[in-house]
Amino acid sequence: MEPAPKTEAKPAATPAERLAYSIQEAADLLGVNYFSVYRLVQRGKLKVCRALRGKLLVPRAELLKLLQTQ
Amino acid sequence: MSSRSDRRRLTTLEEQAYAEAKEHFVEHLKQFPASRLIVERLEQGVAKIALAANMAASQTSQESPIPTDDGTQWHRSVDLTDNICLCHRPISGGVEYAVLEYFPDRGRHEIWHRGPNVVEVLRLFVQEQRQALQVWTEDLASQVREFLEEKYPRQNVSRAASSFMQLLRA
Repeated sequence: MEPAPKTEAKPAATPAERLAYSIQEAADLLGVNYFSVYRLVQRGKLKVCRALRGKLLVPRAELLKLLQTQ
Repeated sequence: MSSRSDRRRLTTLEEQAYAEAKEHFVEHLKQFPASRLIVERLEQGVAKIALAANMAASQTSQESPIPTDDGTQWHRSVDLTDNICLCHRPISGGVEYAVLEYFPDRGRHEIWHRGPNVVEVLRLFVQEQRQALQVWTEDLASQVREFLEEKYPRQNVSRAASSFMQLLRA
């Protein structure tokens, strides 16, 4: 089998490679409704940070941690 | 209603911004009222749910007990939401109650609150649900502001954002 040809340019980052997600994106990734994610945030089960305007962002690492503890 | 009359006074630009926000955040507008309704029903039904749980605890359960991570086993008393239920188990000298959430991907239940006073356990749970709704409201307000500021740079469409947020209270 031939090795895959080397590509010059890096492929564009897929959504899964992003550093953080909005609550609705996190809900979609986890396959739950928005309220479930806000409940996880409220209980401190899912750590979030705030963007400049106060919007909640879920770090990718926290999502992965949540899934690992599951 | 005042929210309706306020909206009538929006300028054409604000009306457009308001409509765009409604379209962009349509899923929030669908999910938030449904979640709020669940919380309101729980708040209003604490006494009834507690009574039902007391009755369930006084009877022998036919269902298999629900195990939790701490090694305890619980009997389902009342379903609170699709995946959250109020449970009980006998302890020396009485009954202990707990709110358990089922995580399908883990295939197990996790304890939210527990204690011998069912009303207290329920109140704590309902209080947390209300707080989660508040977190949602604040986050959505930030998202709407950000969305409109990016769509309408250097223009004040804050009244469109306020009108949108009033939809959550309707």
